[in-house]
Amino acid sequence: MKKILNIAWKDLIIIFRDPGALLLMLGAPFLLTLGMGLVTGAFSDSDSSTGLSDIPVLIVNQDSGELGSALTDLFFQDDLATLLKPDTATTPEIARQQVDDNKIAAVVIIPAGFTDSIIPNQETAQRADTVAIEVYKNPARPISASVVQNIVDDFVTQVNTRAIGIGITMQQLAMNGRLTPATQSSIQNQQASITFTPLIEIQQETAVDPTDDATNPLAYFAPGMAVAFLMYTVSLGGRSILAERDEGTLARLLASPTSATQVMGGKVSGIFLTGAAQVSVLIIASSLLFQLRWGNPTAVALLIAATAAAATGWGLLIAAISDRPSQVSSYGTALMLLFGIMGGSFVQLPFDGPFAWLSKITPNAWAIEGFDMLGTGGSLADILPVLLALTLMAATLFIISVTLFRRRSNNFV
Amino acid sequence: MLSKITAIAWKDTIIRFSSKTELLFFLILPIIFIMLLGGAFGGSGSDEDFRILLIVVDEDQSDLSQSLLESLQASGPLRVETQPLAEAEAAFADKEAPALLHIPTGFAESVSASETAVLTLQQQPNNSDAQIAAQAVETAVTTLSRPLTIAQASLQQAEQQQPFANETERVAYLKQGQNLAKTAVANTPTRVLITFPTTAPEDANDYDQAAHGTAGQLITWVFIPLLGTSGLLAFERRYGTLRRLLVAPTGRGTYLSGIITGQFGAALVQMALLVVFGAVVMKVNWGNSPAALAVMLVTFGLASVAFGVMLGTFVKTEGQASNLSIMLGMSMALLGGCWWPLELFPPAVQTAVHILPTTWAMQGLSALTMQGAGLRDILPIAAILCAYAVVFFTIGVIRFRAE
Repeated sequence: MKKILNIAWKDLIIIFRDPGALLLMLGAPFLLTLGMGLVTGAFSDSDSSTGLSDIPVLIVNQDSGELGSALTDLFFQDDLATLLKPDTATTPEIARQQVDDNKIAAVVIIPAGFTDSIIPNQETAQRADTVAIEVYKNPARPISASVVQNIVDDFVTQVNTRAIGIGITMQQLAMNGRLTPATQSSIQNQQASITFTPLIEIQQETAVDPTDDATNPLAYFAPGMAVAFLMYTVSLGGRSILAERDEGTLARLLASPTSATQVMGGKVSGIFLTGAAQVSVLIIASSLLFQLRWGNPTAVALLIAATAAAATGWGLLIAAISDRPSQVSSYGTALMLLFGIMGGSFVQLPFDGPFAWLSKITPNAWAIEGFDMLGTGGSLADILPVLLALTLMAATLFIISVTLFRRRSNNFV
Repeated sequence: MLSKITAIAWKDTIIRFSSKTELLFFLILPIIFIMLLGGAFGGSGSDEDFRILLIVVDEDQSDLSQSLLESLQASGPLRVETQPLAEAEAAFADKEAPALLHIPTGFAESVSASETAVLTLQQQPNNSDAQIAAQAVETAVTTLSRPLTIAQASLQQAEQQQPFANETERVAYLKQGQNLAKTAVANTPTRVLITFPTTAPEDANDYDQAAHGTAGQLITWVFIPLLGTSGLLAFERRYGTLRRLLVAPTGRGTYLSGIITGQFGAALVQMALLVVFGAVVMKVNWGNSPAALAVMLVTFGLASVAFGVMLGTFVKTEGQASNLSIMLGMSMALLGGCWWPLELFPPAVQTAVHILPTTWAMQGLSALTMQGAGLRDILPIAAILCAYAVVFFTIGVIRFRAE
């Protein structure tokens, strides 16, 4: 046992002393997690689910009525202060030029007569001709421009609802012989106080408390990146088996009073320990730097172990089917990237469909599911199926790898 | 000299493609990344089969709940599946769907009694599909509830003026209001006009996930191998073949030109294949100017290969070169807006990342695919990428001479 641990410790030290390896083991997942944090707004104070903030928008209000002012004021409201960076312009031409120069996301032009086209004249009870608010969108900032468009759409929907509502009220009263001059005057005078409260409400609930740290998008991407680059680490371990053979150190080891089983046990333990150490370092670093909460420590430790074991299985399989150390490196890097995208490390997977099924062959998908459960308050019992799946994956891959190694054992050393 | 350059380029190409795994990096991984990030299996540009699954529990089984279901079915991004409560909750707990909508018993009754009916929408945390589903549900509910809300307000006004003789008259009045409101809402004049600069393509509209994903992944997967040019220098150094080459009547400039030609040539082939894949499979419109697209791809390729040469003079081993290429390639692509649009980043970061060649390349390809830019529009970007190529190549040559 001591020999196995010595070999494992030696492999772990070699990898952690290699600056080139550390770049991909720790540097890359950390940098990419940081990048994802910027994209998803994890470091911003806004409630937005993206990093969108300070969207530059210009308002040109040519309407002299109350609706033009109301829409302009809406863009300057405090609750949109983080999301928008509004300003006003005097003419549409000047404002449009700002979009053409890619300086702003959109221009909102409220035309003259907008209010009069919706609210009937009190004396004549007639509306002016319909005019439309123009949203001049910057195609170079499609998402920001769509946010501006949604704000205008919501405002116009409310205005339309009120206008139609008042019209229908009058029409129905007249149709049913209930409209007297006094009623008409009363409704016209009280228009502003008529409420159009939606009859259907949607109560949104997430599986966790929205104020909880677990809703931080980094809670998804940090473990995702850690597991993606774990695949690289295990391939390094697999590579070392073939490198020891090529460099003659394996033969020397076997010439010493150390059995082949002990050597392989040491190598496999080394891969497992290195992988587990890598994920642990990333978890501790993200806890400290991004204030992420990972959940029950015992369950997290078991999940790290199961993930490292399953990844070790893949590392061994790569080594078993490769002829040269360089081949292991190529396969390992390819598998890291392939499993990264298939397993949901780099991008959230669809919930169903072919990729959702395929993802189950990757340790990434299982591990991310487990870390997600624990981060959102799950217990050890909740992740038992995940632990079982990862352990089964590890055992199956280990058996296949050992079988392949044995078949090639005659010319291996 | 030309034959020497060609010979070196050919030698490097043979070395690179001697491993079958190179095909994975050259074509297979880029295509998988393009399909997933370009929304081929979900998101706005997806086919019907891959629409976001919304599980609905309809305990009300009323005409109104049926109308809501139809409205949800008609919604672009959603695929609606109705299930009994226990089954739906189990499926949601097993994360088989990003969102679950619960229409409780008494939903229609509440609405006809002019009471606010509450629907419950459960969403999986940290999930973009759940957010898209929530938006789509909100749109469908607003569409359904507007005539009801208007009719209800009209009924209240009528009651305030003069109470109804009986419930039948009241219900008839409400129904009449709903029918009138439905017609009025359907005939509402357009009061929001969306316009774009005249240079924008005719189909310009919201964010085009397929175009962004394809252009972004093309940059990512061409950039990483071109940074890997650094590995060739490390390889030659390790085996001493670099010294041998330089002892031969071959100048350092010829040698570097050979390396660049080989890698750059392979990158051009790779880019051409990915452009065709984007156009045919992802239906990406690469713009109206093939010349502009060619200029963008060539200048981006030059800047990238020059970066790889410069990197090669800093690294000591192939392992370092490979790891650094992947780390830098992926990070610079992500920060350059190749994976997600740059506008999602905080403003300060958006400015800072203009130091990266990937940012400029993405800006150029976005201008061609989504903004209708032509050759003249992208020339400043192409000039910046050329400047990067000159700077990186100069640093690389100076350091290479010093070796």
